[in-house]
Amino acid sequence: MKKKIIWIIDDDAIYQKIIEKIIKKSGVISSHTSFSNGNEAINTLKNTLEDNKQLPDIILLDINMPVMDGWEFMEEIKYLKSKIDKRIIIYMVSSSIAPEDKNKSKTFTDIYSYIPKPVSVNDLIAIVSNE
Amino acid sequence: MNSKKKWPNFISWFLERPKKTGYILSLILNVLVILICFQRYHMLKEDQEREMKAVSDKIYENIEQSLKNCQATLVLLAFTINDNGIPQNFDRVSKQLIKTNPIISVLQVDPDGIIKYIHPMQGNEKALNINILDSESHKKEIYNSIKTKKIYFAGPLKLKQGGMGILGWLPVYKDNKFWGFTTAIIKLENLLKASGSNSIDHTEYEFLFSNKNPKTHREEFYFSTRKKLTETNYISKKIPNSNWTIYLVEKKHSDIYLPILIVGSLGILIGILLGLLTMRLLKAPETLNILLKDQETKLLKNELKFKTIFDQATIGFAILDAYTGSFKEANKKYCEMLGYTFEEIKEKGIANLTHPDDIETSLLNLKNLEEGKVQEYSSEKRYITKSGKTIWVNLNVSPLWENHEKPTSFIAFIKDITQKKEAEELVVKSQSQFKSLIDTIDGIVWEYNIETSTSTFISKKIESILGYTAEEYISCPTFWEDHIYTEDREFALRISTIVNKKYTNYDYEYRMVTKKGKIIWIRDIVNFVYENGKAVMSRGIMIDITVMKEAEKDLSNSFHLVSEQNKRLLNFSYIISHNLRSHTSNIESIISLIDNTDSEEERNEMMKLLKSVSNSLNETMNHLNEVVNINTNISLVIEPLNLSQYINKVKEVLSEQIKLSEATFIIEVGETNLVNYNSAYLESILYNLISNAIRYKHPKRKPIITIKLYKKRNKDVIEISDNGIGIDLEKNSDKIFGMYKTFNNNVDARGIGLFITKNQIDSMGGTIIVESKPNIGTTFKIYTK
Repeated sequence: MKKKIIWIIDDDAIYQKIIEKIIKKSGVISSHTSFSNGNEAINTLKNTLEDNKQLPDIILLDINMPVMDGWEFMEEIKYLKSKIDKRIIIYMVSSSIAPEDKNKSKTFTDIYSYIPKPVSVNDLIAIVSNE
Repeated sequence: MNSKKKWPNFISWFLERPKKTGYILSLILNVLVILICFQRYHMLKEDQEREMKAVSDKIYENIEQSLKNCQATLVLLAFTINDNGIPQNFDRVSKQLIKTNPIISVLQVDPDGIIKYIHPMQGNEKALNINILDSESHKKEIYNSIKTKKIYFAGPLKLKQGGMGILGWLPVYKDNKFWGFTTAIIKLENLLKASGSNSIDHTEYEFLFSNKNPKTHREEFYFSTRKKLTETNYISKKIPNSNWTIYLVEKKHSDIYLPILIVGSLGILIGILLGLLTMRLLKAPETLNILLKDQETKLLKNELKFKTIFDQATIGFAILDAYTGSFKEANKKYCEMLGYTFEEIKEKGIANLTHPDDIETSLLNLKNLEEGKVQEYSSEKRYITKSGKTIWVNLNVSPLWENHEKPTSFIAFIKDITQKKEAEELVVKSQSQFKSLIDTIDGIVWEYNIETSTSTFISKKIESILGYTAEEYISCPTFWEDHIYTEDREFALRISTIVNKKYTNYDYEYRMVTKKGKIIWIRDIVNFVYENGKAVMSRGIMIDITVMKEAEKDLSNSFHLVSEQNKRLLNFSYIISHNLRSHTSNIESIISLIDNTDSEEERNEMMKLLKSVSNSLNETMNHLNEVVNINTNISLVIEPLNLSQYINKVKEVLSEQIKLSEATFIIEVGETNLVNYNSAYLESILYNLISNAIRYKHPKRKPIITIKLYKKRNKDVIEISDNGIGIDLEKNSDKIFGMYKTFNNNVDARGIGLFITKNQIDSMGGTIIVESKPNIGTTFKIYTK
């Protein structure tokens, strides 16, 4: 199985570190990049597209973040969609159990699935191998 | 009736029986007429017969004379016969004889019955030598003539010389021995001429000449076409020495009958007419009598009827003396009503029967009537009955006029209206009950006439609800619309106009202004009153629902508050759950990683992470604690606080940041202005908002912070505005006051300050509003309760 490029967008620094560990342990991911809010990720995505670098296969997107939250990120990515020639699978990952968040995620066709935290090694393997 | 006595009985009998009298008279007159006619008929008949006899006698005499002359001629002729049996100078003598007796046409001498001498001979030659005695038809008569020695006339016969004629045979004797005949032939027409029958009035009479045929013995008529005599009215005479009879027949019978018939008929007719006339004349008094009797009966009946009416009437009648006012008469009902007998009524008089309160008016009315000031009068008055009960009556008094003179009597009608009066009193009572009931209704009852567009009623409650009097309302046509609260007027008038066109019952709510200027809420319930399918009135009730409206508002506010609280609590529970779960999931993941590693280094690294999580969790717990404190702190102390002092206090706390940012303040708050608020919250709110204003300053300008305090809709408004970076409300409106929501790139933003501020304001029952434009500035307005 070809290893995947994964982007983690989450303001929780501890979570970022934990997920890095899990990725390393899973061995299914070739590279990973972390962003502390949606704005950083969008900017990077734009640069990646401009530089014609490799786009991620999977994005794990948190909802509640400062500057640009997960929903705003989803709005922004719509404008870039035409330039993206690759299928990026976006997972909404949040500790929120509010039904409105889960429901809202369904309104975005680009969101593949809503995953409640915590994400375990097995979960990650399942996500990557899902393709 | 008196006329009867003037006449004798038998005349009366006729007078009383006009029909019979008429018949009898008619009969008598008719018999009389018939008798007269009969008499007249006889007289006429006799006259006629006499006249006929005279005529017929004359004719008879003439014929007899002619025949006698003929006989004398024949005797003379016979004397000319000499002894030799030869007539001497026959022709000369004959000629002479015919000349003297011109009706004779031919003379003959017939010795032994044989015609030997004829004068004139000319034309008669054929008769020569004929033997008369051979004549078959007259044989018997001829021999009889010879035997009796009398002349015999035969014929009429058809003469051989032509025409009709008669023959006269005179037997001649010689020595008492038959010798022969002297014969004369007389033309019938000559005989008739001599008889004078031609001179009779042929229109009246018909002359007939008949001969009894010796052979057939039948009568044959001459000078007429008739074969038989059918008439009965005739005179006949037999001619001697012949078989002849002469008749005079009356031609015109009607000449006698017609006048008699006419006169008779007229007489009968007149008789009948006279009978009828008599009948009619006699009947006239009888008819008059019947009419008189009818009138009498009618009068009697009327009298009886009026008497009955007077006595049996269901209303009371009384006749009063016009001068004294005392009772002359009173009917049964009148007495019954008062419970007295008529005698008692008469004795007591009007004044004593009348209720004391009505005596004066009653006497005045009577006086007015007597003096002619009024023609009649009606009134409702009270009487006291024998049992002491008061009765109400409807009284009508009018004068009884006699020959246009001053009235001597008054007639009074009374009708018991006690029940009606009681009913009226009951109506008045119930009306007043109704009115007081309406006045006790906790609402203004009103009535409006649609046709005249006027207010017709407003209940007294208007005074306690609007402070105006009913008179003020009724007298001003535009009172209602004038007193509707300005903001509601258009709406109320519009609804009223629409509904007044459709005539549908409705109710609506609007505000009105009381006399004291207070605004009150009114619920107006409108109903329409229909007459003949058309709405003529509208009625309604205006209920003061101010208290209800306020309660409703409070309830609505409370409900809003509770639902907000609920929403917040739910939201808060999600926040707590989220915040805690993010840490617990991290812990879970770290523990899982610790469990799955054998490397000590990694384990230590994990433990460090675990410590960080612990710190974060602690921080989160502190935030939550802070928020929970706000939300659970129900019994906050609210007191009047000097806003100016609080602003200064916050400025002091933030003095370093103010100094660094070179922020300036414009404070438009009076130094003594007080705000009802919780002290800690006011400080916290001011701190958060002012610190935000400094923190989110525009990078290209120094911050200017303006703080104002003013009143809006009876509420204190604290307005804090800055010239900072502003917020894009289009993007961020839903997360301004959310927990952990940040909307700028400032890394210091924690997303907790405005969340707490909002919660504090909410828990004080107030609201916060934000107005902002990116790169221009932000204004927060805090409304107190």
